[in-house]
Amino acid sequence: MPEKIFEMQKISKSFPGVQALDTVDFDGKYGEVHALIGENGAGKSTLMKILAGAYRQNHGKIIVKQEETHFSSPREAQKLGISTIYQEFNLLEELTVAENIFLGREPTKNRFFLDKSYLFGQSEKLLSQLGTQIDPHRKIKYLSVAEQQMVEIAKALSQNANIIIMDEPSAVISGKELDSLYRIIQGLKNSGKAIIYISHRLEEIFEIADRATVLKDGKLVGTVFPSNVDKATLVKMMVGRSLSETFPEKVAGEKSEILTLKNITQGKSLKNVSLRVYTGEILGISGLVGSGRTELARIIFGADQFDAGEIYFGTEKVHKNSIRKSISRGIGFVPEDRKKEGLIECLSVGQNITLLILDQIKKWFFIQKDREENIANGSVEQLNIATPDIDQEIQFLSGGNQQKVILARCINANPKVIIMDEPTRGIDVGAKAEVYSLIRKLAGQGTAIIMISSELPEIIGMSDRVAVMHEGKMMGVLSSAEATEEKIMMMATGYGQEN
Amino acid sequence: MNFMHLKEHRETYVVYFILILMVLVSSLLSDVFLSLRNINNILRQSVCLGLVSIGQTFVILTAGIDLSVGAVISLTSCLTTGLLMGRDALTIPVVLLVLAIALSIGFCNGFIITRTGIPPLIVTLGTMELIQGGVFLYTDEPYGQISPYLEVLAWGKLGFIPVSVLLFVITLVVGIVILRQTKFGRHIYAIGGNEETARLSGIKVNRVKIYTYMLCSFTAALTGILLASRMGMGDPTAGEPFMLESLVPVMVGGTSLMGGKGGLIGTLAGIFILTVLNNSLNMLDVSGYWQWVVEGVIIVVAVAFYLRGKNWD
Repeated sequence: MPEKIFEMQKISKSFPGVQALDTVDFDGKYGEVHALIGENGAGKSTLMKILAGAYRQNHGKIIVKQEETHFSSPREAQKLGISTIYQEFNLLEELTVAENIFLGREPTKNRFFLDKSYLFGQSEKLLSQLGTQIDPHRKIKYLSVAEQQMVEIAKALSQNANIIIMDEPSAVISGKELDSLYRIIQGLKNSGKAIIYISHRLEEIFEIADRATVLKDGKLVGTVFPSNVDKATLVKMMVGRSLSETFPEKVAGEKSEILTLKNITQGKSLKNVSLRVYTGEILGISGLVGSGRTELARIIFGADQFDAGEIYFGTEKVHKNSIRKSISRGIGFVPEDRKKEGLIECLSVGQNITLLILDQIKKWFFIQKDREENIANGSVEQLNIATPDIDQEIQFLSGGNQQKVILARCINANPKVIIMDEPTRGIDVGAKAEVYSLIRKLAGQGTAIIMISSELPEIIGMSDRVAVMHEGKMMGVLSSAEATEEKIMMMATGYGQEN
Repeated sequence: MNFMHLKEHRETYVVYFILILMVLVSSLLSDVFLSLRNINNILRQSVCLGLVSIGQTFVILTAGIDLSVGAVISLTSCLTTGLLMGRDALTIPVVLLVLAIALSIGFCNGFIITRTGIPPLIVTLGTMELIQGGVFLYTDEPYGQISPYLEVLAWGKLGFIPVSVLLFVITLVVGIVILRQTKFGRHIYAIGGNEETARLSGIKVNRVKIYTYMLCSFTAALTGILLASRMGMGDPTAGEPFMLESLVPVMVGGTSLMGGKGGLIGTLAGIFILTVLNNSLNMLDVSGYWQWVVEGVIIVVAVAFYLRGKNWD
């Protein structure tokens, strides 16, 4: 049994109006991956921010390397070897990889001049330790998300961190990149570092964690060894609900062809993609990041143009596609990046909900406030959106509730086809289940749903048919019965049928 | 209050607090400050800056900025008097022409900004230089003569309300109604809040932006015509102070330069703060330079207040 590197005892923290943490114990050992899991708002981030010195606890003790400590700033925590890799990276896009790794701790010659050879040499060494070949001279803005994550890890290592907190690293990467992240975590673990891995995704807990601690509503539910428990147990611990309830029963609505794509080609990202979309069913689109899923979605919605091919909406051929035409034809779009493309953060919940239907609720030039209120309140009730009222600015809602607002906006426009790009990304298990049953209900009412997702269980659990893409090509469409994780993965990596 | 704009009010209470404080202090220091005559004065003094700041608020709400307003004011003031030369009969056609020219300048600003993607700061700085240069080529000293009809704008009264104040109030009310109760207004906030989302929601982003620049040039033209009416002749440097001054009430009033946040209620307070400051310091015989000092402090304090807590989590 390895020795404890840090221990948090009976930590409590309250914010105005909320008890974020209630006497929580947590610890980490040398050479161990300790997963911290729980729904959004369970207190995971708060607990880790206390450990990283960003917040101070109201009660409780933190012991690092056998000594009780009181951090008054993140810098002090860093000095003790505690480093956090946040979901949103803290990297400066215009600077090089090496400059970012040593930001604020630049090596100097004669105390004034930058020691460039040390800077780049050391960076290269750190990166190669991680098994990546990122050029330390490249600017951050030219790196992929996964590469940026590597830079963050290298930065943590350069600070001699031995406690590394990773805040949902898998939320931003997938597939092969995730595998290499797992390898790196394994390597860090073998070199004796303590890794705290925050996640929503249970699959990966079983893959990499030695121990898992579950939080719920700011309280400690328990710490378990993933090797001794199964997924259902963990889900129960997180939500007090069993797994089988997660996906609704597959009941399709009335089926007729509504959207037909013929040989759609766009630059290098899409090659001869053909697809039929029917009302009343959920068509899952699976594929690795970069397979052309998002590009295809944007073309169907009219946000991007295509070079060749034909699109038919019903029997009508789409000549020049544009977002406005798509919306008026009855196509709805739930974008992948909620923050950048979905929300309007300064507007209220209500204003976000009615954004697409202002024409319907205005009289002459004026928006009818009472009708707007009715519609917004109706959506809040129908979708069970947790908000104090519809005037609340949307930025203060949790991810799951924000997503429900975006869904409400889309649904209120009464679309015949809804394209959803990663509809459950970054939302907690409870909200996920609600989103799933909503999607299924829409399909049951005869809406055609196109659902893009990186999560195979979600694709398989939800879809009536699964279309798999690989490098811009449509590899095939599987029926619900044919769709297994193995089969989809094979096709998504370029094996198997192609049509 | 009505739906969805509570936030704006919550944040503007601080500017109104500053305003009330200033009024209190001024009335304690000077007996005439609260006299009907002086209040009328303050209102009249507010109008020129007020009109152009209304337009500026629209542009800033979309995360834009219009630095060409000063030049537009100079241009419209000189063109009005230069074309009129005191002839009453030409009043209406000249005013319409001048307003149309201003609208087309706004259109050009918006068109260039939306089509080329050049930042609004640079585009409007460019058009500012271009127009101001043109004005100086037209005349480099006060020029022309206002018509007696148009003098009413600056000096006339309806009952006891100055016509210019009436013009300001109408523009303000129309502005508030547009921002709060129309689709166009909602689209302005949406674009300032998140342009990409707005585009994906089918909002004609470019068109809305162009309209805001047209509106801004339009209100600048109203200021220009009013200044010409007040002075009797057009002044090629009349607009100069407004280029940056028009931003101050907007910022002090809590409208974010990043767009999407704020509104005219705040701008109104900002306008009065500046005029009351000017007026009371004048009456107390304090050097005008002190006004700059106090104004600078108010800008920084107010904006710091709006941003407080931004770094809390």
